[in-house]
Amino acid sequence: MSIGGHDRKGAWRRALATAVAVTVMAAAGAASADEALSLKGKKIGVAVVGTQHFWDREAFNGAVEKVKELGGEVLPVDGGRDNQVHADNHDVFLTNKVDAVISILGDAAVEPKFKALQEKGVPVFTVDHLSPYAINNTTSDNYYIGTTIGRYLADSLGGKGKVAFFNAFENSLRICGIRAQLAKYVLKDYPGIEIVQPELAEAFANAPEDARKKTLDLLTQYPKGTLDAIHVACWDQPAIGVVQALEEAGRTEIKVTAVDAGPDTLEIIAEKDSPFVANVAQQPHKIGATSAENVARYFAGEKLLPQTFVDVVPVNGPEEAKKVYAELGYGKLD
Amino acid sequence: MSALATPGGRALSAAVVSAVPLLVFLALLAYFGARAPGFLDPATLILILKQAIPTAVLGVGLSFVVIGGGDDVVAGGIDLSVPSIAVLSAAIIADQLAFHGTGTLAAVLLGFMAAVAAGLCNAVLVTRIGMTPLLATLASSTAFIGFSKLVTANRRIDLSDPLIVTLRDGTVAGLPLGLLAATALIVIAIAAVHRSRWGLRLQAVGGNRDAAVIAGLDARRFVAQSFLIAGVFGGLASLFVLARGSGSTPGVAETLLMETVLATFLGAAFSPRRVVTVWGAALGAILVSALSIGFGSVGVDVFWTGCVKGGLILVVVAAAAVARRSRT
Repeated sequence: MSIGGHDRKGAWRRALATAVAVTVMAAAGAASADEALSLKGKKIGVAVVGTQHFWDREAFNGAVEKVKELGGEVLPVDGGRDNQVHADNHDVFLTNKVDAVISILGDAAVEPKFKALQEKGVPVFTVDHLSPYAINNTTSDNYYIGTTIGRYLADSLGGKGKVAFFNAFENSLRICGIRAQLAKYVLKDYPGIEIVQPELAEAFANAPEDARKKTLDLLTQYPKGTLDAIHVACWDQPAIGVVQALEEAGRTEIKVTAVDAGPDTLEIIAEKDSPFVANVAQQPHKIGATSAENVARYFAGEKLLPQTFVDVVPVNGPEEAKKVYAELGYGKLD
Repeated sequence: MSALATPGGRALSAAVVSAVPLLVFLALLAYFGARAPGFLDPATLILILKQAIPTAVLGVGLSFVVIGGGDDVVAGGIDLSVPSIAVLSAAIIADQLAFHGTGTLAAVLLGFMAAVAAGLCNAVLVTRIGMTPLLATLASSTAFIGFSKLVTANRRIDLSDPLIVTLRDGTVAGLPLGLLAATALIVIAIAAVHRSRWGLRLQAVGGNRDAAVIAGLDARRFVAQSFLIAGVFGGLASLFVLARGSGSTPGVAETLLMETVLATFLGAAFSPRRVVTVWGAALGAILVSALSIGFGSVGVDVFWTGCVKGGLILVVVAAAAVARRSRT
């Protein structure tokens, strides 16, 4: 080793030490800012469209736990996976005079309720729902989700083949529009890939069983060799039913891709020779908690951006599924 | 036990049993009022009334069938398809408005025509083919839901048509327009059933069909008319369903059915003779809606709300059965 080399090493060490120090200080700064956050004495209404699915439940739990942690009181309501019930539940917040509302998912039926809350001076914060009446929407980076799953889908097909889309919500939920349209945007560069028409429409409630039946029908329509992949464009609960149907029909040569990657679907991807090959993992608990923090920031007088994006983690193949499963704290898969 | 065996005792027990649903409701409302301070505000009442509209209109439609067919749940008049008729009509209206450039009036007319056709289909199944109303309308409702999925491709359709928005947000003299429109419909229905000659005959047919036939009434015609009217109310309700949801959504029929049946039979608890009435169905819808908002206000799990509502349907229907047994 030359002396110059030693010097360089020393410089690296100093740089590293400085970087660490800066990071620690930044982290401490952030921590102290977060410590100042408080929802003491505030009553926060938290509405979620349903709690049967991992994503919904975790986003809800994340918000509820964070509000309580910050000293606030929670008024929770659950729509039972029914968008209309979810929307009507917001009336409860009007009658109970909450200080702020966190509303998770939901379709356009909630908009008049948000408007009524805004008129009463109750600030509305949304999760995965863009609304002109909301202060802030906390959500995953849906743009990255869409293009990434589009690439993985194209890769799993080797750049050519027929793919069926489960795509019921592209036009009614903006988050689904982003994910579906950006995946299709990527597929445009693969002229050999054809999306089967008409697209399939999965049910909003009881999605796995509904998708299982629809996939079995699809497989009868498309005998072996005529269908190469099934993509669920906005979430992955239907993909559970899709995989069941493929296994029942002995058609596991068909690749499955989807979006959300909770522990239930990561486990399926991690299985050996699973037809479920790729996904993009969201962090619903963190999303819910971030939304609650945003409420506190708002009350602390901070100016919030219209949207807060929470990172997603791409999952391509069984090994990555196992890794992400552990990273996101769901446990360990062998 | 021995008191129950005597006719007088039985009547007494029937009176007590049939009052149970109402007492349970009143107790729950008192509980909500005590636990959630905002629950007894006038503003809450308006919200409860607004939420009750689709169920009330559907319940009124259903009450025509129950009144004309008799309140025996198995052999009497029942129309389980009223909510699915509303969903079908709503699907057609939404599809026409959103994707076919149809004018508002024409789209609404198309939806109504489907609703009337659906009512007619039920009438034929029950009065011509002789199917039990329960099974006939269970089957037809499945078909209507299937047809609505066909129309919408099982997708939600957002609507911002002026008629729908006005029905949702419009006010007259500070009162919600939708509420006034629904009230007008209900008042007309009450007049038709409880204040007109036709209505009295419908009640006679439902109350004791043999006696009505001996008196020279064409029972089958009245029953057929009641199914047709239920279809019309399904069509009318579709406008309120669209307004409430700002569009058509697949999957709303299930909740609507549960609440409509509950509201209609709960309504019987209000009538002195414990029979299904039009106004009772409307009041029942208000109570059901109060229950939903009340449970939400005290933070009860939505599945518990479902359990309680289902349990109440059982209590209400059982009470109706007991009341009927004590009459015969």
